[in-house]
Amino acid sequence: MLDTSENLEGTHIPATDQLAGAAIAARSLRRTFKGGIEAVRDIDLTVSAGEVFGFLGPNGAGKTTTVRMLCTLLPPTAGSATVAGLDVVADAAEVRRRIGVALQEIGLDPVQTGRELLELQCGLYGVTGQRARARTHELLELVGLTEAADRRTKTYSGGMKRRLDLASALVHSPGVLFLDEPTNGLDPASRLTIWDEVRRINAGGATVFLTTQYLEEADKLCDRLAIIDDGRIVAEGTPEQLKAEMGHDVVSVSVEGGNVAATEAALAGLPGLERVVAEADALALYVQDGAGSVAEIVRRLERDQIRAGAISVARPTLDDVFLKATGRRLEGQQQPGQATEVKS
Amino acid sequence: MTEVLLLGRRATREIIRYPEATIPTLFIPLFFLVVNIGQVSKTFPSSTPFLKGQGYVAFQLPVSLMFAVATATSGLALVTEIDLGYFDKLLVAPIRRSSIIFGRLTADLARGIATSTLVLVVGIALGARIETGIAGAIVIVLLSALFGVAYAGFGLLVALRTRNVQATQSSFLLFFPLLFLTPNFVPFDRLSPLMETLARINPVSYVIVGLRSLVIDGWELDKIVVALLVIVAMGIVLTGLSLRVIATYDR
Repeated sequence: MLDTSENLEGTHIPATDQLAGAAIAARSLRRTFKGGIEAVRDIDLTVSAGEVFGFLGPNGAGKTTTVRMLCTLLPPTAGSATVAGLDVVADAAEVRRRIGVALQEIGLDPVQTGRELLELQCGLYGVTGQRARARTHELLELVGLTEAADRRTKTYSGGMKRRLDLASALVHSPGVLFLDEPTNGLDPASRLTIWDEVRRINAGGATVFLTTQYLEEADKLCDRLAIIDDGRIVAEGTPEQLKAEMGHDVVSVSVEGGNVAATEAALAGLPGLERVVAEADALALYVQDGAGSVAEIVRRLERDQIRAGAISVARPTLDDVFLKATGRRLEGQQQPGQATEVKS
Repeated sequence: MTEVLLLGRRATREIIRYPEATIPTLFIPLFFLVVNIGQVSKTFPSSTPFLKGQGYVAFQLPVSLMFAVATATSGLALVTEIDLGYFDKLLVAPIRRSSIIFGRLTADLARGIATSTLVLVVGIALGARIETGIAGAIVIVLLSALFGVAYAGFGLLVALRTRNVQATQSSFLLFFPLLFLTPNFVPFDRLSPLMETLARINPVSYVIVGLRSLVIDGWELDKIVVALLVIVAMGIVLTGLSLRVIATYDR
């Protein structure tokens, strides 16, 4: 823990000295909105240079608020953060020179053509004249929009808009790139295209901070990730580390009639059982040997005359990590507050 | 400065590409010009002393010019930009926030010159004669356009404060009392005492008087200077408030 500063409510503490070295760092970062809504609650983050760092969480978890604070669009209520070694409050202007940003709401001017928009964006970042035209041409090629370059952006599809927005974040070759849900609402093909772009940008040396609510995206694209829920970071590590911490296998037992408590009682003390998470109409059993446990599970359910639906065995996923950390699944199988975790 | 020019060029391009945002703002001033002349031309024939031999169109032309340039178009464009997220893109760029405002005002100047020229040409076609000639016509267009720029600060202010399209759109309604509590139909001394008092404390009155002097009276520098001072003061206050709000936007 690098932080030694004292954080007071409503006080921003410049942290350049403490957090220098990391591409992005936050200490006890908090944002409280009017009415006392705590969107981000004292989060700590460290993102190394060259990483693709994922920020995974459901809608309303605090992802966008965090990004807006790191991008200097929103001042923290308390705590501190640095980007490219610069304090996001004290050195906001310099931070803006170093970062590229593609926010959740695609920031395009519908009246301009793709080419005009990129040339303007170049100008705003000090790239002008022939250099701006050349950079625009290069970026249009990069995101595959050369043919549509002279059409107004309002005629673009969702995927094209996302790609143009991404290109507009790259005009000045930023060292740190923030992408807030860059594939939100895109079809699978467009999503894959964006992933390829992100990998290519990262291969060029840029640090990427990416928020997402898609498990697959976090799993496949990110070197490391943090899971945020209700404004707090509840888990952090590489996708493999996080999944490995879950145990060996996950056996999912869907319970007909919703008699979860009785099912849980029947399976208590199952050999190799590490953890049980109860959901609304299912149980997730974290066991050392999933396949070997199925027979015993079936035997116990028959013994207690419990009718089970499907029983499946899988390796833990990030959704299981999310379930363990928050008590609910990210993919919307369950409403918040319906799950309870039971340690075996 | 480069940022202002870049953003101004973009905003001007927006005006050209969206004529449907500007054309309706011309309808009211031209409609009033034609209707008012039609209604009172017999009441105020050219022999009326304050018309100095001209038709009533010459007296009404400055009012229509001000109607033409006092719009919430810039504010609407800004609030739409806030809605679409492009505003955030500008805020996160390494530019002075003030350049976003000045870029919009640059386009307002261009729009003001175009629309006031058009209204002036229509006025002349309807029989108005510009007593100060071509030079006076140029000053009329410039003063009108500058008034439009000064007034645009109000729409921008409402857009930034409310972030709401409807509120920004209805901000235009504020202009109606400001324009009608003036010597818009008759000179100050023909107004009722109460109306005259209100008109005399309304700064917009002096812009109308200044423009009108260029059309009807000839070069009366004191009236032109007072009109210019009112416009500059309005601009400083309204633009200043917009700059203050954008500087602290989300801060």
